[in-house]
Amino acid sequence: MSVEIDHATAVSTLYDVLVVGSGVSGAIVARSLAERGLHVLVVEAGPGEELSLADYDTYLTRFYGAVAKDNNSAYEVNPNAPMPRSPDVRRLQAGHPDSTGYLIQNGPYEMDSTYTRVLGGTTMHWEGKAMRMLPEDFEMRSRFGQGRDWPIGYDDLEPHYRQAERELGVSADVADQTFYGITFPPGYEFPMHGLPPSYLDTIIARDLDGTVIQLEDTACTVSVRPTAQARNGMPNPAYDGGKGYVPVGAVSTHQVDQGDRCQGNINCVPLCPVQAKYNARKTLSIGLRTGRIDILTQTIASRVHVGEDGQISHIDYQAYGSTSSPDHVTGSLRATKYVLAANPVENARLLLASGLPGSSGLVGRNLMDHAYLLTWATLPEIAGTMRGSQCTSGIEDFRSGGFRSRHAAMRVSIHNDGWSWPTGSPYTDLLELVDDGNVYGETLRRRVVDRISRQLMLSFMIELTPEPSNRITVDGRYTDALGNLRPVLSYSLPEYTMDAVSASRRVSRRLFQRLGAEDQTKYDPLDPGFVAHQGEGYVIRGGNHWSGTHIMGSSSRDSVVDDHQRSWDHENLYLVGSGSMPSIGTSNTTLTLAALSFRTADHIASELTTRPSLTVGA
Amino acid sequence: MTLRRIATVTDLHQYLQVALQLEHATIPPYLTALYSMHPSTNADANRVIRVVAVEEMLHLTLAANLLNAVGGEPDLTVDGFVPVYPCHLPDGEDDFEVGTRAFSPEAIDSFLKIERPAEGENQRFVARKRSHRALLPRVDAHEDDLHFFSIGEFYAEIGDGLHRLYEQHGEALFCGDTARQVGPEYYYSGGGAIVKVTDADSAAAAMRVISEQGEGLGGGIFDEEGELAHYYRFQQLLLGRYYQPGDDAGNPTGPTLDVDWDAVYPIVADADFHHYTEPGELRDAVLAYSASYGDFLARLTEAFRGHPELLLPAVADMFRIKELASQIMRNPMPGRDGMNAAPIFRGLASVGLSSVKVA
Amino acid sequence: MADDALLARRTDADVQAVFLSLSATLTGYSRFRLLGTGQVEPYLVTTRSAVGDDVFGELLSAFAAVERESADDPAACDRALRALVLSDEKLGPIARNLIKMWFVGTWYELPQEWRDRFAAGEQLATHVVSPASYTEGLLWPTIGANPPGAKGQGFGSWVGPPNIETS
Repeated sequence: MSVEIDHATAVSTLYDVLVVGSGVSGAIVARSLAERGLHVLVVEAGPGEELSLADYDTYLTRFYGAVAKDNNSAYEVNPNAPMPRSPDVRRLQAGHPDSTGYLIQNGPYEMDSTYTRVLGGTTMHWEGKAMRMLPEDFEMRSRFGQGRDWPIGYDDLEPHYRQAERELGVSADVADQTFYGITFPPGYEFPMHGLPPSYLDTIIARDLDGTVIQLEDTACTVSVRPTAQARNGMPNPAYDGGKGYVPVGAVSTHQVDQGDRCQGNINCVPLCPVQAKYNARKTLSIGLRTGRIDILTQTIASRVHVGEDGQISHIDYQAYGSTSSPDHVTGSLRATKYVLAANPVENARLLLASGLPGSSGLVGRNLMDHAYLLTWATLPEIAGTMRGSQCTSGIEDFRSGGFRSRHAAMRVSIHNDGWSWPTGSPYTDLLELVDDGNVYGETLRRRVVDRISRQLMLSFMIELTPEPSNRITVDGRYTDALGNLRPVLSYSLPEYTMDAVSASRRVSRRLFQRLGAEDQTKYDPLDPGFVAHQGEGYVIRGGNHWSGTHIMGSSSRDSVVDDHQRSWDHENLYLVGSGSMPSIGTSNTTLTLAALSFRTADHIASELTTRPSLTVGA
Repeated sequence: MTLRRIATVTDLHQYLQVALQLEHATIPPYLTALYSMHPSTNADANRVIRVVAVEEMLHLTLAANLLNAVGGEPDLTVDGFVPVYPCHLPDGEDDFEVGTRAFSPEAIDSFLKIERPAEGENQRFVARKRSHRALLPRVDAHEDDLHFFSIGEFYAEIGDGLHRLYEQHGEALFCGDTARQVGPEYYYSGGGAIVKVTDADSAAAAMRVISEQGEGLGGGIFDEEGELAHYYRFQQLLLGRYYQPGDDAGNPTGPTLDVDWDAVYPIVADADFHHYTEPGELRDAVLAYSASYGDFLARLTEAFRGHPELLLPAVADMFRIKELASQIMRNPMPGRDGMNAAPIFRGLASVGLSSVKVA
Repeated sequence: MADDALLARRTDADVQAVFLSLSATLTGYSRFRLLGTGQVEPYLVTTRSAVGDDVFGELLSAFAAVERESADDPAACDRALRALVLSDEKLGPIARNLIKMWFVGTWYELPQEWRDRFAAGEQLATHVVSPASYTEGLLWPTIGANPPGAKGQGFGSWVGPPNIETS
């Protein structure tokens, strides 16, 4: 499958749509529009020579050989299109921005969230949780007096959620996912049955189900539920009115047997070795079959130009031949419609670097991410930790209720990969046992089991509200190898969120008590992300769920895009992805941004195909 | 066992049970070659062989579906179900043997012969002296030297037989319990789809997958679904290049394919119990491996007899025994300098200690 | 030095046999199991190049002495190993490194104190010996799991309790 064209051809072509970014939102927009007869160019800043398995294998081998197996460790260091990496994050000193990593940390809070700049974007390393938002999440202002309302509601997005669940190949059962106002049309089924919960999950459910926990005036009854996941499981023959579902396997130029079911490689992040987990290359490779998508990789959109009519006139690019050399060529690309789908940080960065902060001045502002509080303990029995996909179940019962007028909502994941996120287990456990425990041989083997197979880690994913002061900016002092302005992050955690952090810690103590688990949680004041609140200290981690930087609203005065993700300022410009979301609730953002991408694709198609000059399907 | 041309439903059952045996017989040679490669090397060769092995599993399952559909009783545990390697495949010719051997050009050559396409219309049977190590049974007691030319021709006879019996019996031929049919929810992969067999049409569809996936359609290198036939997939390894659509047989023009024939453990060919007489860990492991393989076949039999959900743990069995196979192959063979051990795929029946033949 | 002589006198096969025996004692895994990872040779080479022939010879000699003194008595072997190897300022850190390498495939740079006192040449930095060393790590089978990103145990295998190997 030859997917690349040369830059000269692209420069001399007037495309219907130019998409910047090949992640999930760009891929969905590109595929949807190409399948409706439109000619689409996708430019990707990162590498990804071809949509082949060999390409993918390179990532896997790099991951195997990496000492630090962080969530971007599978991907090449690329000074031409750098990406944030969590090991780069340092404890900040007040007033001293840290420019160690690609992302300039301006503080006061250090943020270790990342994204991935390769073909397929951050879906290469995403974990694959595919959860709808709750209906009440769309009405934060009117229901809880917090944050913002969306200009559209759950019901508007519901059909697109179904499209997204098809595209991403979601495994879940409707009965498990029907909670706190989430509704499905009668007879709806997910493409595949829910993935089986882990042994660890069943131990936790056995002891926790039915526990009642009070959050303000809301009584929450705990129920451990399987999580909806975008990874291949058992196809549901009842899907689509009995038509069933054919899972999408590994992307490859020749036939392979991979990508079928999740094998339990416990490595969703940073890379599923068999492509059982959805990644945007799957969408791209299917879209390419139309013959109407061109892809240019190693091609950085460097500047967006606006014509006198206020429309985008063209976008400049820099194309580099090798990740090890800054040599590059430049040119301009033209299309009727422009879609920036480069993720919330890069979308904002590109607009700001182009001198386009928006008439509302809100480009880059209202940055959100989930705040993660990690709590960990040792279970009284062997739970078989470190097997399965990274998470198979969670607790949804702290996501909804009147308490949200007082503090943020939380969602709990039970981590099959134990303490690896907070402590670096099992490596750190091994080093301690060998270096300090002075055990070896069979004793070591027993101690390793005792130490690791009983691990329980609960992550509390806590919502943030949009705050204009949390923002991405650019600063002429900070540039990358090709001279592009790097993103500068200013970030702090609102009270509303911090109160939920305290509540989460209280909840985790209750849950550990109920489980008879030995609480091992420790927060080191020297760690990045350490914050004190109400006399207790916590380490808050990022969730990689960047959002809000081109926030959606019902008026050009207080938002950047309308409900179709169209820029208020430039009629032929769309800013797609979680950057448009006015709230993120307690759902991982991918399913919602995928749904939004389908909705936007419909809108762009209707705009373009009603023009008399265009012949659909030509 | 002697087969005659298919005249009765019982004949058909016999043929389909042989089909199970035949489809399975290719798996240990393919797996042995696959497991013999060093980890993180030979990615292309690894994939090519693995896809074929997985598709042989698909064929095995389809054969079970066919046998179940016509009221038969699949059994992967009968004595002698797994051939003693080396054996002659598929037609009893003496010109080549198939064994459990390390990945090598010679091994690929024997795989090509397993999967070789039919040469013409009237070559279903060839008259040639039959080897006693031939896996396929004789065709008829009175035609002792008559054999199927290829696996494809064997299936053509099943196809014809099915057709003849269907003319006689109508849909009553498909009297099997439909709950025994394995559906796509239990088996899917990059290539080929499982077909539940409940009538003449679905039987024909299942037959098409089995016979075409191996050998290509009507002499072409790609089948109806656009998949490259097994024969040509293996050939790519010898030619060092991938086929792409539009290519002619023997002349692939796709991307190059790197094969490192040296990144392979030097394992003993056609390992058998007499190679492991010395008590110790290695022998224990080889016996455990054979027993696990037998458990796997027993689990498949159960799955094909009304418990398709057992195919999931059977796949996990395969992953587990692969690990043990790799461990065995990295251990030196005692007394054979420069030679490594290799696993035996025999099964439970032969592994009782009393039945271990010491040469 | 006597230890030089030891290395010189021995054939590669002898050296490998002692290294394997030491590795088996340190990891609690059998020789078959260690050979089954395919990592004996790369780990031997890594260790030898990290500490130099002299010190490597001392380590093997010390272990040979442990085996001689303990004569198959596990309690005596344990005491001797602690006395002659694990608490030895030169050999202890190397033995601990060996354990770690067998369990996760990573050679960890030796501690600063060791480098200051015993290092002969360039120090080997912390690195994964090879991609296969990672996937062949013994930590994972110890806990009935697979190395993340490799050797998945199969769909649904996570539903039941772990299959923990006992020696």
